[in-house]
Amino acid sequence: MGGETSEAPTADEEFEERTLTDILDPRGFGWLTRLGLFGLLLLAVLPALQGYGFLGIVVNSTLLANITGAMFFAVFAMSWDMQSGYTGEISFGHGLFFGVGGYASAILQAQMGLDLLVTIPLGMFAAGIAGLLIGFPSLRLQGPYFSLITLVTPIIIIGLFRFAPDVTGGATGLFTETLTTGAVEGYVVALALFLGALVLFLAITRSDAGIVLTAIREDELAVEAAGLNPAKFKLFSFVLSGLVGGLAGALFVHTYAGGFVAPSDLLALVVSIEVIIASIIGGIGTITGAAIGGLFLFLFRVYIAQVDLTVPVIGVPIGEIYFLLFTVVTLVVLFFIPEGVITRILVRTRQRAAAREEEDGGGGGGGPDLATDGGWTEGEPSNLERIVATFTEQLRAVLPGFGDDP
Amino acid sequence: MAVSPVTVGVNVLLLGALYAVVAIGFTLIFGVGGILNLAHGALLTVGAYTAYYLVNAGIPVWVTVPIAGIVAATTGVALYKGMLKKVADNPVSVLILSLVAGLIVEQVFLVLEGAQPLVVPGIVDGGVAVLGTDIELNRLIVFAISWLVIGALFLFVNETKTGQAILATSMSRKGAALVGIDADRVFTLTWVVAAGLAGIAGVFLATFQTVTPLMGRTPLLLSFSIVVLGGLGSIRGSVIGAYLISFLDQITVQYVSTRLAGVSGLVVLVIVLLVRPEGLFGRELTEG
Repeated sequence: MGGETSEAPTADEEFEERTLTDILDPRGFGWLTRLGLFGLLLLAVLPALQGYGFLGIVVNSTLLANITGAMFFAVFAMSWDMQSGYTGEISFGHGLFFGVGGYASAILQAQMGLDLLVTIPLGMFAAGIAGLLIGFPSLRLQGPYFSLITLVTPIIIIGLFRFAPDVTGGATGLFTETLTTGAVEGYVVALALFLGALVLFLAITRSDAGIVLTAIREDELAVEAAGLNPAKFKLFSFVLSGLVGGLAGALFVHTYAGGFVAPSDLLALVVSIEVIIASIIGGIGTITGAAIGGLFLFLFRVYIAQVDLTVPVIGVPIGEIYFLLFTVVTLVVLFFIPEGVITRILVRTRQRAAAREEEDGGGGGGGPDLATDGGWTEGEPSNLERIVATFTEQLRAVLPGFGDDP
Repeated sequence: MAVSPVTVGVNVLLLGALYAVVAIGFTLIFGVGGILNLAHGALLTVGAYTAYYLVNAGIPVWVTVPIAGIVAATTGVALYKGMLKKVADNPVSVLILSLVAGLIVEQVFLVLEGAQPLVVPGIVDGGVAVLGTDIELNRLIVFAISWLVIGALFLFVNETKTGQAILATSMSRKGAALVGIDADRVFTLTWVVAAGLAGIAGVFLATFQTVTPLMGRTPLLLSFSIVVLGGLGSIRGSVIGAYLISFLDQITVQYVSTRLAGVSGLVVLVIVLLVRPEGLFGRELTEG
């Protein structure tokens, strides 16, 4: 089906035009791409609109700071999606990369007095090396075990940090220098990182390497049979994801977080889980879904905390129970839209386009059989279902009785 | 701070038994239903807070133990029937949804009671001298009850028809269905047992530590280490794993640093996963 090669909902249209020749009639759903491009354009010009307000939202330094944080969080989510969403090896501790990046840079700056322009790249490489060290042995393990290892590694690191509080700042954190002054500068750094990560990840996942990664998720044996080494590709995506996550972590510490690095911002279990939630809500294995999911989740969390309302029955202000509300809303969305919002929109749009296509009597083009942007044809399993199928298979190897249909 | 080796030994024995109770529940749910229940620590928290509320209402602590078990079991069954059962064939959703459900429980108690540690008195007061060291009687009682519970569970799983049905289901769902076992009933039953055990363990933990919204996290993480060390789904492995982990944890805490509480267990977990992912005792299903 040619439907699988069409545009993702954001700004990757130009890129797709360059690499994929089989594109369906773009008139059918061009509005999604246009919307995405418009969104990116809006992000780019936002700092220039300071002082203006529209729809009751005033562009000021608070808004810019919030969106800065959201863009960092979106990069975290994309780096998770690049690794877990594409290879299907679910990492439950991506906070490790953000933490290693942020902490390595902060400690090198605070303890050795190195320049931030040196420590930030070093933080990025430290996270890449962490990815190599953890990924090399653990990616050979089967799904659930890989998830368990990634789940506990950041917790071990937090424990070790507590063990050496004078170097690491322990449980409270560590103060270091900032790279930027003012909301606009931080915003520009975050925007550059966000766009860079988006383009890089889109380029990789929509290339041949992306097809291999997606194929690993679908059927690792088939990839092996084709003469490719799945472990190598998995490690590649893990390290790449670590490098970007580490860079994002380091930049986050020295801009948005005001030079302050704390376990709760980067390493905590909640961070790793929020990243997964953002990607799943947006749509797993799409990059664009993770980006949009990350932006919205962060802003949702920030703004729900500021809602000046009191819950009627128990008389508690929303600001005090926002995290509870946040988790409940998350639970509901995950339960009722398990394939992700972006994926659902994508699929709906494609179904409509396919129906129109049929009326016109045109057949689909001969695109690759794998959808690297998270789209899928009706009747075929979604990305999440595919990952789950692989995961289930691996669980079955661990548990002989699991998944038998009675 | 010099701590008597006797105290350390008693702590190891006591916490080993308590962790075993928690980990057995965790491994039952996983071994039988294939569900990695990341809300297991939250069930323990539910038990602890139930005891706290009841004690404040003037009910003796020992009476709160079974009630906390029932409340936690009800919560567990509600979690399973209401949500996890519907996504049970989808391990990724199970992991994420159970984790978020656990976070919600933490948040509810955080909103209701705040983060400050709360105190539940011991089941009994006083202490006895063991080899010249004073040991709280409460710890000994908790130790004894934990072992009674473990023993009862062994007997239940191995000697009763219902227990055999649980075993059969964990070995092969198809085979169990062929001999007329209602898998759905078995799954619900394992949730009742596992969540009830977690609730009871929550009260026990509350009597000699404190009650906080996040108190379930460490037992959950230790449960991972324990069941992976002992082999996922094995009750016997869980008991042995629990003792190995509590020994290691206490040694680290007492002789290296209290700041490393829980970390040594996780390091063991990672090493075991990398070197011998099937666990020390291999996969032997849920046979006792």
